Amino acid sequence: MTPKPPAAGDQLSAQLLIDLVTNTLDPGYAAAARVRGHTPPRRWSDRPALAVGCVLIGFTLVVAYSHTNRGAPEAAKVHNDLVSRVRAAQHEVQRLSAQAQQLNSALTALRDQALSGDATLSRQLDRDQLLAGQTAAVGPGLQVVLTEPPRTSASAPPRRGGPAPGDVATILTDRDVRSVVNELWADGAEAISVNDVRLTPTSAIRFAGNAVLVDFAPVTTPFTIRAIGNADVLATNFASSAVASRYKTLAGADGIGFDFTEHAKLTLPASPATAPRIAHRPSRTATPLPTPTLTRTTR
Amino acid sequence: MIAALALVAGIVLGLVLRPTVPTWLEPYLPIAVVAALDAVFGGVRARLDGIFDAKVFVVSFISNVVVAALIVFLGDKLGVGAQLSTAVVVVLGIRIFGNAAAIRRHVFRA
Repeated sequence: MTPKPPAAGDQLSAQLLIDLVTNTLDPGYAAAARVRGHTPPRRWSDRPALAVGCVLIGFTLVVAYSHTNRGAPEAAKVHNDLVSRVRAAQHEVQRLSAQAQQLNSALTALRDQALSGDATLSRQLDRDQLLAGQTAAVGPGLQVVLTEPPRTSASAPPRRGGPAPGDVATILTDRDVRSVVNELWADGAEAISVNDVRLTPTSAIRFAGNAVLVDFAPVTTPFTIRAIGNADVLATNFASSAVASRYKTLAGADGIGFDFTEHAKLTLPASPATAPRIAHRPSRTATPLPTPTLTRTTR
Repeated sequence: MIAALALVAGIVLGLVLRPTVPTWLEPYLPIAVVAALDAVFGGVRARLDGIFDAKVFVVSFISNVVVAALIVFLGDKLGVGAQLSTAVVVVLGIRIFGNAAAIRRHVFRA
């Protein structure tokens, strides 16, 4: 290396650092220049050596570049593949549930035909099915819309069944949807749907990742909650409820969208039929029916 | 002239062959890149200083790569591979910056 008077301890390490920063050129160049003097003799090996060195350097750089960039398309390919598979599965679900609803309505029609003699039974069946959310419901009611505040990096317009928002924290969660739904039930709603997913007595509004799941169907903002009932009573009760005042406050503070309007005619879709798998009615001959006992569950 | 042609030839060779880097060689790739850049800048600076020497150029490049790889290899075996790799990149990075500054002084006289 560069000739330096030997220094001890701290001086040496400091000298090393100074050397590192000031003598950036490889010392070999200076040494070689000193050896051959002022008139550099042209050696036969100069050109090939230079060429070999440059080829090596170019090769190294390109190999590193292509190696670094080769991985990226692979990852993108896997990602796209997964996305398309999820989309395909979602389409399949939509197709199948549409088919199920179609078959259900055909079944209803056939059964109505079969029950045409028995008006009471038919009426009771209709009523039960309506309450269970097994048939589409039409009537006046209230529509509540909860909207996530607009994000600056909103890449795609949110839509039902579309991609759930990624890793961005959302303000509105299942709890908000649930509290509005519960308030509407309490206010006298007879049938409720969330983003065109009809709620049944066994419906659950849950949260998975950042997506709100209503009966396992992902719903995203805006959450449109439609409730059929006496529109005036619903609107009055809902407007004076604690839930409504909470979201009015939140709308002012956090910028979420909160709006409810009365509608003269709302149409709620039927829920895809779900047959109970475990529960079954007691056999008719079995007597007596067990008296329902109140069991208080603590949460 | 020859240097530029050879550099282009190396790039073309890499693009045509598109060799797959074996896994065991992967950790040394960034070091080889930094060493290559250091050799290029050092060579250009030496050329401008009028003391360029092809033998020194080639030998310094190859030995830099080998020594840096050796250091990192040793570090990997001793569990400080990442830190030593950073050290190599820092040292060679400082040299690249210094040489680039010298080149700038030569070219722009500033």
